[in-house]
Amino acid sequence: MGELAVAALLAGTVLLASTLSVRLGISVALIELAAGFVVGNAFDLSVPDWLSFVGSFAGVLLTFLAGAEVDVPQLRREWRASFAIGSVSFAAPFVVVGLLAYYGLGWTVDQAKIAGIALSTTSLAVVYAVLVETGLNQTAIGKRIMAATFITDLGTVAMLSILFITPSVWIVPFVGVSIALIAGLPRLAPWFFRHFGNRVIEPELKLVFASLFLLMWLGDRAHSHAVLPAFVLGLVLSSHYASHRKEQERLRVVAFAFLTPFFFLKGGMSISAGALWANLGVLGILFAGKMVPKLIGVYPLARRYAAPHAAFTTLLMSTGLTFGTISSLYGLNTGIIDRTQFSLLVAVVVLSAIIPTVIAQRAFQPDVAAEREREVAVSARLREDVA
Amino acid sequence: MPFSRIVVAIDGSEGSEHALAKALELAGLTGATLLALAVEGPLPAYAATVGEVEEVKREKDAFFERLLMRVRELADEAGVPAEVELRPGHAAELIVHYAREREADLIVLGHRGHFLRDRMLGSTADRVAEHADCPVMIVR
Repeated sequence: MGELAVAALLAGTVLLASTLSVRLGISVALIELAAGFVVGNAFDLSVPDWLSFVGSFAGVLLTFLAGAEVDVPQLRREWRASFAIGSVSFAAPFVVVGLLAYYGLGWTVDQAKIAGIALSTTSLAVVYAVLVETGLNQTAIGKRIMAATFITDLGTVAMLSILFITPSVWIVPFVGVSIALIAGLPRLAPWFFRHFGNRVIEPELKLVFASLFLLMWLGDRAHSHAVLPAFVLGLVLSSHYASHRKEQERLRVVAFAFLTPFFFLKGGMSISAGALWANLGVLGILFAGKMVPKLIGVYPLARRYAAPHAAFTTLLMSTGLTFGTISSLYGLNTGIIDRTQFSLLVAVVVLSAIIPTVIAQRAFQPDVAAEREREVAVSARLREDVA
Repeated sequence: MPFSRIVVAIDGSEGSEHALAKALELAGLTGATLLALAVEGPLPAYAATVGEVEEVKREKDAFFERLLMRVRELADEAGVPAEVELRPGHAAELIVHYAREREADLIVLGHRGHFLRDRMLGSTADRVAEHADCPVMIVR
């Protein structure tokens, strides 16, 4: 099939995925991933170079957006509890899956690192949707869970950027430019926005894209990945976006309309149905490798910091989607993991987006009204104690 | 008076528009108070970005604000006393709970809502009819 024919087929698939998402009430990303899987396997399509390129950029842009969506004041308020839960939520599956892949499945050290990183994630977006839908995002426990999710994500992007660096002279410009952009862009953004913002030619979006491409190039030369600086860059610009919602909205429009669909389609197309079918046992082992350490590691901390909703918190911290897919795609693109390993990792990531969420919602969802009453009572008791 | 409080469930779908028209007509004929409950459907499940969730939430909020305003206007035009309320959550469960809470003596709703998954899992109307404490009118 020619390149334009593939492009037309994929554009039609993206369109269909969007309409299905609206009708089914399921995230467009998950449907794009599934659609890519169906189209890729049904037509036996290989991923064209242009799709790889667009998908790689979209992955970095997704990471930037994730950073920009962090509520920094909330994170500061919940720092202690969220750090404890978030760091264990990252470290426990990272170590267990890494060891399991290396010793149990015979993967190489680098393959085991990719597996550990991909399955250590917690999905902020999945968690956020559950909390907003129920109104729990307004409660202390909801805020704490979101802050903890950020810590886990930070661990993921840090490991993905640091663990594969090969010492070379390119590390210096990569680190230097990353620091310069992270320190400089928040200062430049207000001036740039005043002079060039709010125009249909979107210079402010181009400033972000140019910065991300520069980071991608330098990261590639340094045998690293631009996700860490991209995430932190988004984070330091989050207060700018909080006061310029329209700008953030336009960035999302460009991302969701053209870029991220190809990222998820590419992810889906790279999953081999045959490889999954032939390795269902390994799939189960990896799924357990993610879930068991998350559950065992997070639950005691959740009992301490998120009582009486420890089980709900633990299950939400066990979800994953975007960063797991980004990490797996990085491994595939750089040749660290093969298509079978990629298929297994992404399948586990998708299962972890669905299964813990469903269990948390069906069996452990807190009563929001009761939770608010409880918070009011706790505050009153504290005030009495202080008085 | 056959009815004093009529609950109508609305979500902006074609089915709920028919239900609203019928509920207004009935309330006008019987002198009942119309209790319009807008059920804000689910946000995208298993989202990949916070942005997707935020944008859908924003769109929904704006959509339901317009919808509730229109219900108030229609009720005013028809001279029907009306109360409107927006609640997020599971449609069937909310409608039954709300009707019980407000001691309604009739629930009116459309036979088909927005989401395909409602149709696949058994419609909201079916579930409300099964669990409600009061009579239920399903409008086609």
